Amino acid sequence: MNFINRAFKNVTRRPSKSVLLILTFFLIGNLVIIGLGVSNAAESAKILTRKKMRAVVTYAIDFNKVNRYVESLTDEDEINKFYENYPRVKVEDVSQFLSDPRVRIANSISSNMWYIDSEKTLDFVHLNNTREQNMEDSGGQSCWYDESGGMNCETYQEPVFFVKSNMYPGMIEFEDGGYQVVSGRFYNQKEIDDAEMVCLVSQNLAAANGLSVGDHIRLGTNYLSSYLQRMGVVTEDLDVEFEVIGIYSHNNPLTPDSSNWEYASPFENPDNMIFMPTTSVFMAQLPVQQKTFDYIAQQNPEEEYYSDPDNRPSIENMEKTMYIENATLLLDDPLNVEQFVKDHESSLSQFTSLDANNEEFKRLSKPLDTLSMYANFIVWLVVINAIVIITLVTALTLKTREYEIGVLLSVGASKLKVIGQFFIELALVAVIGFTLSVVSGSLIAKRIGNSVLEAQIATSDLANEEEFGFDYIDIWNTDYSTEISLDDLISEYEVSISPLIIAEIYVLGLGIVLISVIIPSFMIMRYNPKKILMNQN
Amino acid sequence: MAETVLKLENINYSYIDGGYERQILKDLSYEFEKGKFYTILGPSGSGKTTLLSIIAGLDTAKSGEIFFEGKNIKEIGLYKYRRNAISIVFQQYNLISYLTALENVMLAMSETDNKLPKDRKNVAYNLLERFGIVRSKADRMVNQLSGGEQQRVAIARSLASNVDLIFADEPTGNLDTATEREIIAIFKELSQEFGKTIIVVTHSNTVSEMSDHRVLLRDGKLNEL
Repeated sequence: MNFINRAFKNVTRRPSKSVLLILTFFLIGNLVIIGLGVSNAAESAKILTRKKMRAVVTYAIDFNKVNRYVESLTDEDEINKFYENYPRVKVEDVSQFLSDPRVRIANSISSNMWYIDSEKTLDFVHLNNTREQNMEDSGGQSCWYDESGGMNCETYQEPVFFVKSNMYPGMIEFEDGGYQVVSGRFYNQKEIDDAEMVCLVSQNLAAANGLSVGDHIRLGTNYLSSYLQRMGVVTEDLDVEFEVIGIYSHNNPLTPDSSNWEYASPFENPDNMIFMPTTSVFMAQLPVQQKTFDYIAQQNPEEEYYSDPDNRPSIENMEKTMYIENATLLLDDPLNVEQFVKDHESSLSQFTSLDANNEEFKRLSKPLDTLSMYANFIVWLVVINAIVIITLVTALTLKTREYEIGVLLSVGASKLKVIGQFFIELALVAVIGFTLSVVSGSLIAKRIGNSVLEAQIATSDLANEEEFGFDYIDIWNTDYSTEISLDDLISEYEVSISPLIIAEIYVLGLGIVLISVIIPSFMIMRYNPKKILMNQN
Repeated sequence: MAETVLKLENINYSYIDGGYERQILKDLSYEFEKGKFYTILGPSGSGKTTLLSIIAGLDTAKSGEIFFEGKNIKEIGLYKYRRNAISIVFQQYNLISYLTALENVMLAMSETDNKLPKDRKNVAYNLLERFGIVRSKADRMVNQLSGGEQQRVAIARSLASNVDLIFADEPTGNLDTATEREIIAIFKELSQEFGKTIIVVTHSNTVSEMSDHRVLLRDGKLNEL
């Protein structure tokens, strides 16, 4: 007849007392389950929504920091000097981020609109829309005033290819599955470093021109306008040959159903998008860049900048003269985003910042945060009250069980065993009470959880927000953050009692019982068996 | 010379009552021999129950030493002493109400460190049967038994832990004369047949007449009659 056995017998053979205690624990359990269920639902809704979002962090110049710094400067020379050396995002900074195992891809995109080469060797994919019809019918006119004040006009050529280039191997667009390499491959780091003239073309562009991997195409980085001719640019400077190393397909077709289809330029058609390294773009444009630089230097001999050979675009000066505006880092897991920003924030330079792109997420998840906060508050309030109630009940029960304690002590039972018996008795009724509450609590939690969320949203600023959406193919978009709506969050909000919550309930219950036994334990430790038994006798 | 099982040396006990110190036990010394049946007599308020509490390890004396089989009970430890060396039978039986008679007996078995037979349940049944509690009654809750039966259960419990020293405080105080005689006969049998030392605090002449030694507690000291 050890103390565990005695505890079990006391619980089963004093049913009225046990039922009352079970009822108390049942009520406590229900309240705790509702609180934990709602809180967990809010937290998991946030996590699930966060998981749906792209795991992107933007590394860029923080213009707020720049402006604050400039405002703090009082000396005009200092301000000018600052603007001469305006802070830039450095290629090597982004390379450092790439060494973090959480970073999968870095996007630092440059976009250029290019032309059909002078010999028209490569045709673009036609949309056959109003814009193309206009181009064929009348063409465009480019006009300017000459030195004598006379107006000159010439027909200008429309750009037809959209060249999207990255400073780093891989691209978020391909990693996300929006674009897929169906033949060949993406360019690698060596090709970027060596500025090799390689590119990827769309399946439709390849089909229209009978291209396959390994073929060479000619593109025009510009058309030979009279302006460029004045600079000394010749056709050979504009036509550049590229090797097709990959053919891609994509999920963003520009169709007559798209809102921007009718007046879209050919280069706005994702089929006419050509991917290549940014260094290759630099190399392709270098002859024109150099001639333009030389022409301006010749025309403006007083300009210091143009007289410095270090500023002249060249292969040697490539890193200096080519800069990136920002970089978007794609991480392995959306849940790593905030930690990644925290980890790298301290090593950022004075004017750069890492943005987790989660302001909208934070704003939308505010009702859930408030709900979670209240739910947690209720849980702790209930737990504290439960401890007080159970402590009181146990302490009062002790008075009626003094005699039993005296007997146990008189037969040599240690006070620790007596306390152990009381603890097990409470733990037994707590387990029964909490087990029953798991069944009822999960049903109640679902109902209450949904209605409190509705009430929370109704009182928030988000209640009357309308959502806008366009079916719009935007080739310029370099904002990789995922748009989310309140509906996304709400759709993920589901109050359910997971095994984890059930485990939490039992742990909390055990905690309540443990703490509730502390004060009665002190009382037992002070008991004198002689006094108890003599009083009794 | 019989073996001494319990030796009391210069026991003093007092308490404050209404601002005055009341000396209950005064340099009390006495030796209890093994296998004897003792009754401690004395007028009300003489300190009989206090003395029993002290020698049973339920309370401690202000000064003086108690030796059980030559060892100081403070060195043994009061819990261990109560668990392994002694057992007590009270006037109110002091059984645990939510346990059966059998479970009350087994309670003492579960607490002691003394060597006991493996089949404790059967031993407990046999003990109860020996004192007139048949199996059907042994499985009843104790509050379903009569006063005499409850006291028999208490005595069975006191033997269950296989101790040599049994104390009883007015064990027959609530019983009729016939039952009183039965209980005393049991005590007598325990001392004579099993070599247990029985120390009973009582007012009853019937009980004291049946004991081997009648000891009077007066003026804080024990004197054999």
